Amino acid sequence: MELYKFLPKTNCKKCNPKTCMAFALALLQGKVKVDDCPPLLEPKHKKDYEKLKELLGSEDGKEKELTIDVDNDLCDGCGICVTVCPVNARYCPPTLSGKAPDYPPEKHQLFQIKSGKCELLNLKQCRRIEAEGRERECRVCETYCPREAIKIDYV
Amino acid sequence: MVSERITCSGCSLLCDDIIIKSDGLYIDEVIGACLKGKERFDQITSKNRILNPQIKKDGELQKATLDEALEKVIKIIKNSSKPLLYGFSTVSCEAQLKGIHLASVINGFIDSNSTICQGKVLNTSKETGISLTTITEAINKADLLILWGANAAESIPRLLNKVLFSRGKFRMTGREIKTLIAIDPVKTASFGVMGVRDVALQIKAGKDIDLIRVLKEECCVADSIPDKGIAGIDSNDLKRLLLHLTGAENGIIFIGQGLLNSQNGSNVIKELLELVQLINVKQQKGRMSVMMLGGHYNMVGFEHVALSNYGKNQSLQFSNNLLVETSDTIVSNIEKEDFDCSIIVGTDPISHFPKHLSKKLMSKPIILIDNKQSATSYVADVIIPSCITGIESGGLVYRIDHVPLNLKKIINPPNNIFSDEEIIEKIIEKLV
Repeated sequence: MELYKFLPKTNCKKCNPKTCMAFALALLQGKVKVDDCPPLLEPKHKKDYEKLKELLGSEDGKEKELTIDVDNDLCDGCGICVTVCPVNARYCPPTLSGKAPDYPPEKHQLFQIKSGKCELLNLKQCRRIEAEGRERECRVCETYCPREAIKIDYV
Repeated sequence: MVSERITCSGCSLLCDDIIIKSDGLYIDEVIGACLKGKERFDQITSKNRILNPQIKKDGELQKATLDEALEKVIKIIKNSSKPLLYGFSTVSCEAQLKGIHLASVINGFIDSNSTICQGKVLNTSKETGISLTTITEAINKADLLILWGANAAESIPRLLNKVLFSRGKFRMTGREIKTLIAIDPVKTASFGVMGVRDVALQIKAGKDIDLIRVLKEECCVADSIPDKGIAGIDSNDLKRLLLHLTGAENGIIFIGQGLLNSQNGSNVIKELLELVQLINVKQQKGRMSVMMLGGHYNMVGFEHVALSNYGKNQSLQFSNNLLVETSDTIVSNIEKEDFDCSIIVGTDPISHFPKHLSKKLMSKPIILIDNKQSATSYVADVIIPSCITGIESGGLVYRIDHVPLNLKKIINPPNNIFSDEEIIEKIIEKLV
């Protein structure tokens, strides 16, 4: 709704989702860019255009990068992140029953416990980069870490 | 370089999925083990490791050969009439059997750590009955997990990973259908894994008995729940707890150390086991069971070994090489000073027991069989170093859910260091 406020609200059907409400949703999910809305580029909507750019921040040019930060001082290697990660669950069958994945790790595997600490293996496979739609909002590893050692951030 | 799956002996969960890379002399990498398990593997090269037998001479511990140490042990045992054997929770079942045999040879009193820990639950269950379950069942079938007086996220780090977050065989959903209820006076790290459906109950310290009694009444007769709530828990939370307890298909209550003390003069465990039975009788849908969260990796093993071989699960007193009836425990024996030497195997009673008991234990000669330095090793008269079970020697051990597992020997022990079983056997050989 925050994004919808700054759109022209004319439903001019010049963009791909056709309505302003749908465009706002698509913006949120990262499917379209601010420049895809032709009326916004007109001079009278300049203020809204700039505001939207500020809100979304990073749509073009300097894209913000996803980082998953694991605090090694807090981590006690319980392996909840390994089991709960949906990418690990798909590619490493032992994690379905709470077991440690095979070694050497599978190329899609995201987390691994080594020497009693969590280790991030392959950030590119994370759902926040790979998946589409709602799955992009995955934050399970951060939510369920009992010691709050995992932080998901955009830098 | 060999990499294989082994069983970790870091805590009582005994994870059987740990991968290690080893060249037969050292362990290079440990994959999958938590910090507790990793520390266990680090003990091999730790500076706290005892590598030489030691004897106390003129008030100071000095290095000695194994034969000298064994001679001193025999001398101490032969001079005593009431030896006390304690520990046996961090050794294999074979060593426990040898330990009980040693007690019968020297007419001693033997007890394990379970007496002051989860053995209380098993003793109480003789009166009330108990419904046990296994970890595998918790992984595949459970839909309700109750952590009562236990901070599993920190004491047994991989437990929640296994039972709460795993998807299981029959339901591929996992975390979404499993409900976690944590009952604890303090907000522990286990509260950090809570989702929206879970119930976090911060109970007043020492009031668990009141809550259990209310739940028991509610299970019998569906009367109105007290409006004010009970023990610091409001009536809404109480309703949710009762709904989960009676509606679960396969619920498991994890009994932690917080419930073992008696509250208000009553045995909390007894009331809790009765509540579980009541739910099981009343409930048509599923079943409720309990699991005991102990710390030492083979605490349950001693109960099984002693019960199957001698007919009593703990506190065994021998006289004329035969088992005699006694109501004493290790605590009452030390309190009464009813012993004249003690043999400690793989534990650290000086730092575990209260000060007045430790002082009484220290006043008599102590023989220690262990692999690491501890408070007990500083006051012992004789120390015989032993292998690390699960890494340098194998054996049978029991998991917290009473499932026997086999520990493998991975690397060779250092020179002149034997396993607990071999050391106790050498003592018996020299005695007979």
